[in-house]
Amino acid sequence: MDEKERLRTIDEINERIKRGDAVVLTAEEMIKLVESSGLKVAAKEVDVVTTGTFGAMCSSGAFLNFGHSDPPIKMIRCWLNDVPVYKGLAAVDGYLGATSISETRGLEYGGGHVIEELVSGKEVTLRAESYGTDCYPRRHIETVITINDLNQAILVNPRNCYQRYEAATNSSDRILYTYMGTLLPNYGNITFSGAGQLNPLCKDPNYETIGFGTRIFLGGGIGYIIGEGTQHNPESGYGTLMVKGDLKQMNSRYLRGASFHRYGPTLYVGIGVPIPIINMRVAETAALRDEDIFVNIRDYAAPVRPDLRPIVKRVSYAELRSGRVYLGDRRVPSSPLSSYKMAREIAETLKKWILEGTFFLTEPIEPLPRRGKFKPLEVRRREPKVGDVMNRNVITAKPSDDIDSVAAKLVEKGIDHLPVVDDEGKLIGIVTSWDLAKAIAYNKRRLDEIMTRRVITAFENESIDVVVRRMAQHNISGVPVVDAMNRVIGILTTDDISRKIVGGRNII
Amino acid sequence: MRVKLIYSHGVVEKPILANIVLKTGIPINILEARVNAQKGELIVSIPATGDKLREVLDLFREAGVQVQEFAETLRIDWDKCIACGACISPCPTGALKFRDDWSIEFDDEKCVACKVCVTACPVKAISLP
Repeated sequence: MDEKERLRTIDEINERIKRGDAVVLTAEEMIKLVESSGLKVAAKEVDVVTTGTFGAMCSSGAFLNFGHSDPPIKMIRCWLNDVPVYKGLAAVDGYLGATSISETRGLEYGGGHVIEELVSGKEVTLRAESYGTDCYPRRHIETVITINDLNQAILVNPRNCYQRYEAATNSSDRILYTYMGTLLPNYGNITFSGAGQLNPLCKDPNYETIGFGTRIFLGGGIGYIIGEGTQHNPESGYGTLMVKGDLKQMNSRYLRGASFHRYGPTLYVGIGVPIPIINMRVAETAALRDEDIFVNIRDYAAPVRPDLRPIVKRVSYAELRSGRVYLGDRRVPSSPLSSYKMAREIAETLKKWILEGTFFLTEPIEPLPRRGKFKPLEVRRREPKVGDVMNRNVITAKPSDDIDSVAAKLVEKGIDHLPVVDDEGKLIGIVTSWDLAKAIAYNKRRLDEIMTRRVITAFENESIDVVVRRMAQHNISGVPVVDAMNRVIGILTTDDISRKIVGGRNII
Repeated sequence: MRVKLIYSHGVVEKPILANIVLKTGIPINILEARVNAQKGELIVSIPATGDKLREVLDLFREAGVQVQEFAETLRIDWDKCIACGACISPCPTGALKFRDDWSIEFDDEKCVACKVCVTACPVKAISLP
């Protein structure tokens, strides 16, 4: 059979839903049916396969219309529970983004939490400021609102529902707190996101049924796909969706404010997309299993842009979901950040809606774009690199040097940091003036008795910005700059940075 | 059984725990230790029950160590939990895992109260009492 030969139309499916005899399976049930009865039987029998996902989706938010107060205000700056609302819109329209950070509670609370509270009917404090105009004279307002007071509360998420998502691990020697959760040192664990075999776009990767105007389950209510999402990357199999729905009809069970430690707030969004089995190819992809869907595990230790993070391994969702992934001969624990249990519940709920005849399928007006890539941002202005600012006339010492001569060297050269190198010039330690004070206190004689052996370093081509953050994290004021062979080629201190760079501009 | 052992000034330098391990043969596991010259506090896991457990606890008391039983390690707010799994792979002892229905199961006995899950949880469902 030609795999694109039509099995049924969406109109025919809707007729069957109306009559109450549509055959609807969740993606998991479809997989089981194909395994037991074969693809042909399943394709012939099943009208719709329901999908679901429930994960952190940062590019989410809601357009809100507050209505006019008396006297009225043209809100220029606005907060809900002290979380800033985007106000580059008309007088009382705003956009509350999921990652907007509370000005009083920090990273623990943000736009996602406010959206959850609104949806669950809680009172939220609205505060706004203005400069006052002839038509909108008020300059300040503070009141409490609930979602019922809003004229519109429309969830519009520019990027949701990634087709697949790269998994994460950490090769460094410190714990990393990322948007992929807590990553333990030395490849201590692996985290991943996405519902794999339940994931909407994984079940129609050729975008034959999912497109502009597709009606979906969104946050417990009805929503629509309004186009491809930002960063839609179909050529690599990383499609995304832009979705919209009426927040007033949603349910806080499927819209949950969340916060990743030291990363910031976000929103867990529940989405379910019905896949009409219109032809054999869609039947086949709707039955794809976790074993068939692959992603890369990337190392988040490297301070580079996401697509340059080193790939550690390519794995299937089945392997990730098993809870153990082999990296070499090491079994590393893996766990998801998105809820498979909730994804399942969403697929079940959508199935129920269709079977009850309360949810009908829509024909997309246009398919999602099948071409397009996700480009990086080129930095065209020259940014200072470590090599531009570091001191190349670096003074070093040998581990066998005695303390007195080293102290004399520091005083003579007016420096605070002394990298310790071996005979080949390779870095093996560092001594600061503070270490020398300790040497006197404890009566030590040789450098290798007092030097710090785990040295924080930088490379010549690294951005100053990244190295400044590294120094702040380790509470140090200087780093030796090393080459690929770990030979010391310079030294960079906070002194160098403050003297040579002012206000982000390079003045050397 | 998880207990907190409080060593006062008089006994802090004695190898009480090692002696009890040798005497009873029970491999007591130290989960957390704060010791200085004046006093010490250990949180230990004792893999024993019934008479054996009572014997170990009595030996500590006889040696002058104050014993506090740990009723609870972590508190998980199951209404808040979304069963995402963000707490599972960071847990060093496998105390958190998925059930067959992909909800989260917490094994109190395996927990060493390291708190890594407290910050790993994106919906703040985990706390220490």
